[in-house]
Amino acid sequence: MNRLGAVPLALLWALPLLLSLALLVPTALDGAAWALALAHPQLWPALALSLATGGLSTLIALAISLLLLGGLPRSRVWHRLQGVAAAGLAIPHLAFAIGFAFLIMPSGLIARLLIGGDAPPQWVSVQDPWGVALTLALALKEVPFLLTAGFAVLSRGDAAVRIKAEAQAAASLGHAPGSAFLRIVLPPLLRELRWPLVIVFVYGATVVDMALVLGPTQPPTLAVVIWHALNNAEAGVNAMGLAMTLLLTAALALILAGVALILRLGRQAMHRLLTAGPSPLQTPRLLAALAGLVTVLTVSFALFILVLLSLAPRWPYPALLPPAVDLSAWASVPPATLWLSLLLSLAAAAVAVASAVLWFETHGARHDRWAIALALAALALPQLASAGGQYKLLLPLGLTGTLFGLFLAHLTPVAAYVLIVLAGPYRAFDRRYVAAARALAASKLSAWRRVKLPLLKAPLLTATAIGFAVSIAQFVPAQLIAAGRFSTLPMEAVTLASGGNRPLTAAFALALAVPPLLAFLAAALLGRPRWR
Amino acid sequence: MPLRLTRRGFASLLATTPFLAPARAEESWAEIEARAKGQTVYFNAWAGSPQVNAYIAWAADEVNTRHGITLEHVKLTDTAEAVRRVRDEVKAGGEGSADLIWINGQNFHVMKEEQLLFGPFTEELPNFALVDIDGKPTTIVDFAEGTEGLESPWGIAQLTFFADGAKLDTPPMSMMELLDLARDEPGRITYPAPPDFHGTTFVKQALAETIEDRAMLPLSIDKAAFTEAAKPLFEFLDQLHPYLWREGKQFPQSQAQVTQMLADSELLVGLTFNPNEPANLVASSTLPATTIAWQNRGGTIGNTHFVAIPINAKSKAAAEVVANFLLSPEAQARKADLKIWGDPTVLDMGKLTPAQRGLFSRAREPGSVKEPARTIPEPHGSWVPLIEAAWLERYGA
Amino acid sequence: MALRLETVSVNLEGHPLIAPFSLAVAPGEIVTLMGASGSGKSTLLSFIAGDLESPFTAAGNVRLDGVTLDGLPPEKRRIGRLFQDDLLFPHLTVAENLLFGMPRGPRRERLAKAEAALAEAELSGFGERPPNTLSGGQRARVALMRALVAEPHAMLLDEPFNKLDAALRQTMRSFVFEHIAARRIPCLMVTHDQGDVPASGRLLLLKDAMVTDA
Repeated sequence: MNRLGAVPLALLWALPLLLSLALLVPTALDGAAWALALAHPQLWPALALSLATGGLSTLIALAISLLLLGGLPRSRVWHRLQGVAAAGLAIPHLAFAIGFAFLIMPSGLIARLLIGGDAPPQWVSVQDPWGVALTLALALKEVPFLLTAGFAVLSRGDAAVRIKAEAQAAASLGHAPGSAFLRIVLPPLLRELRWPLVIVFVYGATVVDMALVLGPTQPPTLAVVIWHALNNAEAGVNAMGLAMTLLLTAALALILAGVALILRLGRQAMHRLLTAGPSPLQTPRLLAALAGLVTVLTVSFALFILVLLSLAPRWPYPALLPPAVDLSAWASVPPATLWLSLLLSLAAAAVAVASAVLWFETHGARHDRWAIALALAALALPQLASAGGQYKLLLPLGLTGTLFGLFLAHLTPVAAYVLIVLAGPYRAFDRRYVAAARALAASKLSAWRRVKLPLLKAPLLTATAIGFAVSIAQFVPAQLIAAGRFSTLPMEAVTLASGGNRPLTAAFALALAVPPLLAFLAAALLGRPRWR
Repeated sequence: MPLRLTRRGFASLLATTPFLAPARAEESWAEIEARAKGQTVYFNAWAGSPQVNAYIAWAADEVNTRHGITLEHVKLTDTAEAVRRVRDEVKAGGEGSADLIWINGQNFHVMKEEQLLFGPFTEELPNFALVDIDGKPTTIVDFAEGTEGLESPWGIAQLTFFADGAKLDTPPMSMMELLDLARDEPGRITYPAPPDFHGTTFVKQALAETIEDRAMLPLSIDKAAFTEAAKPLFEFLDQLHPYLWREGKQFPQSQAQVTQMLADSELLVGLTFNPNEPANLVASSTLPATTIAWQNRGGTIGNTHFVAIPINAKSKAAAEVVANFLLSPEAQARKADLKIWGDPTVLDMGKLTPAQRGLFSRAREPGSVKEPARTIPEPHGSWVPLIEAAWLERYGA
Repeated sequence: MALRLETVSVNLEGHPLIAPFSLAVAPGEIVTLMGASGSGKSTLLSFIAGDLESPFTAAGNVRLDGVTLDGLPPEKRRIGRLFQDDLLFPHLTVAENLLFGMPRGPRRERLAKAEAALAEAELSGFGERPPNTLSGGQRARVALMRALVAEPHAMLLDEPFNKLDAALRQTMRSFVFEHIAARRIPCLMVTHDQGDVPASGRLLLLKDAMVTDA
């Protein structure tokens, strides 16, 4: 009975995923592919760029997020920030990249404001060879994700009370708020943020769409090299791309293992710092406010610019506003496509959360490592590769071009994200609350429904919203599996983006941003604790 | 990259693939049309341009009312997607999901080489007789590879440059003049990095203008010979690059990005493979009305794009009917209309009736090419991977 | 060391919870404030400790060693607290919990102090254990030692024995009172349990918002 709880997750997600990955093995053992990959002149510099942009953007995003979580008082600001973070989370990466690029590029808004003149300055502000623009954009875009994950931990009913009491205890022992945050709140918080951080790192090191807009070009990041190779019509070049994919994945795994090792070795030193005694370290409120302001302003400006871009067929330098606006780009968003995307994503998110909860409820935390390892594998492999395996699996089953196949394609990454996001809060739940409810003569189901569910309301809703947002942005697997029989929003958006029509791309990017935005706002509103 | 493009005789292809035997060779066009009725054609076509998408939507309406065919546009980011899908589906057996593919160049070579295409079928299309094979030889030779009836011509492409005439009064009409312009306006010229299609074409154009013996281009070449032949090309690029955008150390990713940077005034010169794209962009007010377009006076790299039918297509008859419709004077004229798409026709005006000729508008639009240059056919396919590899090695990292 | 409250009052949205009263707690003295649940006792302690939160407000002056604490953040007040829960930090070992609040200094000395405190609590050798492996009584003793090694100048006890079982409660009371008295720390305890009141200590009653001597 207990074991059956794993069935939905296994059947709909794990099994297809494992089989898909297995189907990639023959290509991975292809010697010719590896020879081509290793002879590629851009391989090593591109790999270094990928790892550097992914790693640095993760560290910057973490620093900003912690600054905001620790530096701002747990006040109204803090709670308002939750809504802003949800909004930032909803903006698709590509959309943010386009808006951000138009902010900083030589003919962008900042140059128009500061420089003007006939011709734009020759700034090296986007597509710089060092990947600075890409790193910054990635960092800013990931802050909302880390913040949301952090809020989910800190504002969870049982944890919030405990953290508050512990902070009081720390203060009574002579620790200023900054010191209390670093020594009491941060260690458990980081523990629960480790998987979101891994996701952010892996995402940053493998992202393609943002790198195409903002990243360096000669060499580009390895993900871009792979993307071109996998897009090639030649089977041999595709195989080279797969070999590079495996290399990138191995490099990421190696780095993560290295970080884990350093953290383990550094444990002693870390605990010495934790217990060095009371410290007058204040929370850097000014810096936090500044970081918050910069993040919020950049993200909202990027969004605002995107709205303008979607309305402006032409916006020549150095005009501060487009000379003319029209709605033609918006008129081309087809309603049928919108509905299909909404329903598919809602279904994928709901099924993913339900299967994950069923898994958590029927299996102990020690089994999580396998589920999470699989989820990370699903997210760490560039989608062109993993989706290729999935396609090879579904093709002989006759599931390509079917709605169910399309649903499975959406579920794969959604379930992975949901598992990772939910594992922390779900496993950290204080089981005594359920025990207390059972002691009050509640049945197992009733205790879950009346005590655990309300207390885990916020993380569950957030996970659903994240799942929804991930699903609605799915392009590669959907494109492969749909076989042209169905059309979703990102399929329309990405194909139009390939033509470089900026108003249309902006309009579709915004159309992609709105549904998840509503989902996150709904999650934030419904997930609010009854009182603070 | 191991791109081996041998010129395999069509007879041997027929012999090895029973599929290709024209079993229904005697079937009349009327019978094909009758069979096509009620079928659905999944047309796999790059969908990055709203103009192209709108045109295909129009064609879908037309073939529905005229022939009772449902035409679904499968929107692609990259035609290679369709190639891979057909390859996988053929391997898996059964009927495929694609009925018609918009294709040319490397994608066609791969599909032909791997015997993934249905045909020959073009001779069966009544409208194929109207194609200007003599005036536009690229309608039956795709990147130096004979089409052998496996793809039906659809439109013409020629490398064309464009700029804002208000900022550039005398356009550079050769690679050498472009180098002079780059020296005068450092940082304002660039081209997309190969293997982007347009980037490779730019390099091919430079190759054609610098190579000592242009007659080598249609022939197969090996690495040693290429290294020798391409020496002047790379000498030229070495000279040009320091004056390019970002001193030739970084390059844009795509033609679309170059166009956008031109529209944003970051660059002086844009490039396209559709001679009428600049005029079309003026019509859709992406570019200003002062836009000018030109082709290099010594000739410009050109080719044709086609539609082909995969060997495992479900609705082959309907796909043929659609291919034939796309060749009709009415469809070709609408396609050539700058306000619609602006893709030049493959038809021979001399073979059309005066009424059919009248469909093609001759109005000069702002942004159209003033003096069309003659077409330099694409070099043989064996040049492409060598160009791309050598470029990547020299400038890629 | 002495703790003085001068005309201190506590209000909830304009309604008085505790009418103005004054109180002096001498070094080593343990004053107990008894009142019903919800009468505002714990809120008074929050005010003294400096972390009163809205909707509560308070007025009056708190002096420790003759210095007013007005406006000082909690961590600068040198006021130790024991809560109803032990609130041992779960990610730190028992010894690390002790080191947490101990004033900075040479590591060796601090470790020795922690070891001595553990010995005093009859918990020698428990230093490396995670808190969740300790019994309730052991945890309560660690919590007290943690507060004491931080060298507070006053202690506030908020129903600290409430969650202990009856047998443990008695031993814990004497353990706490002895250590606080031995260190000559002024201490204010709030409780609703008559049994918590130390034999020799002063007792105040909070009823109908009035603080009176028993």
